[in-house]
Amino acid sequence: MTDQHLLAMHHSEVQVSVELETPDVTLNLGPQHPSTHGVLRLIAKVDGEVINEVEPVIGYMHRGYEKLAEVRTYPQIVALVSRIDWVSGYASEVPLMVAVERLMDIVPPDRAQYIRLVLTEMARISSHLVFLSSYPLELGAPTPLMHALRERERILDLIEMVTGGRFHPNFNRVGGVKPAAGAGSNQKKVVQDLPEGFLGQTLAAIQDVVGVCDDMEDLVLGNEIFLERTKGVGIIPVDKALAYGVSGPNLRASGVRFDIRKTDDYLPYDGFDFDIPAGENGDCFDRYWVRLQEIREASKIIRQAVETMPSGDLQAKVPRIIKVPKGEVYVRAENPKGEMGYHVVSEGGRGPYRLKIRSASFSNLSVLPWLLKGQLVPDIIAILGSLDFVLGDVDR
Amino acid sequence: MALRVSKVPGIGLMKGMWLTLRTLFKRPVTINYPKEKEIPVPRARGVIALDTEACTVCMLCARECPDWCIYIEGHKELQPPSKPGGRPRSRATLDRFDIDYALCMYCGICVEVCPFDALFWSPEYEYSEGSISAMLHDKERLTDWLATVPAPPPLEKN
Repeated sequence: MTDQHLLAMHHSEVQVSVELETPDVTLNLGPQHPSTHGVLRLIAKVDGEVINEVEPVIGYMHRGYEKLAEVRTYPQIVALVSRIDWVSGYASEVPLMVAVERLMDIVPPDRAQYIRLVLTEMARISSHLVFLSSYPLELGAPTPLMHALRERERILDLIEMVTGGRFHPNFNRVGGVKPAAGAGSNQKKVVQDLPEGFLGQTLAAIQDVVGVCDDMEDLVLGNEIFLERTKGVGIIPVDKALAYGVSGPNLRASGVRFDIRKTDDYLPYDGFDFDIPAGENGDCFDRYWVRLQEIREASKIIRQAVETMPSGDLQAKVPRIIKVPKGEVYVRAENPKGEMGYHVVSEGGRGPYRLKIRSASFSNLSVLPWLLKGQLVPDIIAILGSLDFVLGDVDR
Repeated sequence: MALRVSKVPGIGLMKGMWLTLRTLFKRPVTINYPKEKEIPVPRARGVIALDTEACTVCMLCARECPDWCIYIEGHKELQPPSKPGGRPRSRATLDRFDIDYALCMYCGICVEVCPFDALFWSPEYEYSEGSISAMLHDKERLTDWLATVPAPPPLEKN
């Protein structure tokens, strides 16, 4: 609006005949915003209620893990990588260890692989339960949070029971699993296997998790307000999803049945019976629905793994000082957020020469400027929350 | 994509109210923290206890620590020979063993690499401080934690 227009308005209070033009307003969301899951800043150019352009500003949580890894040994890096995506810390450790084991030609024993698999699926359940509960919260429904986090706490307690850590287990070692947590004198003479009662409590816990999934479906998925805010909002078509490198549940919500658990062999998933849920429209509702179904599938995997848990050693024979032969390998895994990959380049030392981390949330977030263009301002939070990213995973 | 959603009006409300009713008569899962405390599992990584008698000042823990938060100093002492006429033996003595819990990331690598079983995890967690410098626990304070180390949990059948 120019000064002449203002003058015209001032002089003629009765009727304004000039056509009003509103310039784009820059709207800053964040970095401190409760619904951005961390420190994400969005610079949105809005015209009224319509978003013309969005620029996500990331990097507030950059901790430089790739560089930190270069000056540390492999056992030390395991303690770092669980902090990349802290909602599912255990799942980030496994692909790194698989990468190191592939370089060293070590195959972990069956029992170790099964324990890894059970805990990875538990991490998936705990991550998805956070999404299932916090997403309705962002849309204004605080009740589901209480129900979902109650069951998530049980899953975390079980992870703590085995590993000693709730969020940062640091449970994987090259060649198998070995808790750093010990208790009692002469603890090294005691095998740090699964504690008594773990398998039984796991079966009971996942039964309750499936129960809370039913409750969430009753509470949330039929809710008219929820349907209005998510159906047909934030649609990612398949071609755009593939072009931006969207992976994990976000990709499956668009209708692509692609799951690294089925295609790769970083953990023995091929012996298990589970489905890959996929959405149809790729909107916010489908992303919610896919994650809800994935909890059910993860519960199926855990049940099968617990019932067929093999006996045996927990760790393969590894040298006392781990030196990885020269070479490079890329191992990717289906993390709760999507594809998580580690590219380990070894020069033959005790630590990596270079460690490239491909984290899922970064690529999932990259679709945001395209996705938010032309949407309405109130839908920002609905779309942002449905992508389910963790800023630690974006910035690393 | 089959949903458990009924087309009959009012069913959703009934289901929600039924969930409320069920939850109403359940005992709360939260605890009233400072008055009640939950007992951590034996493997919980709360604080590191030190057995000074077992420590031989080998520095393995300080070297393997990912963020180098363990500070160790020691010196060699000459012990009298075990047999008369024998050689005097030197023994490493611990002067300083500090863990900076403000830096520690509770990974447990030090406990794992200790070759003489001098470090243990204790599930104690109530040692927050108002000042960051008070998070540096010295040898005496780390030894005090030793009494809180629990017995290892019984294991699942392998």
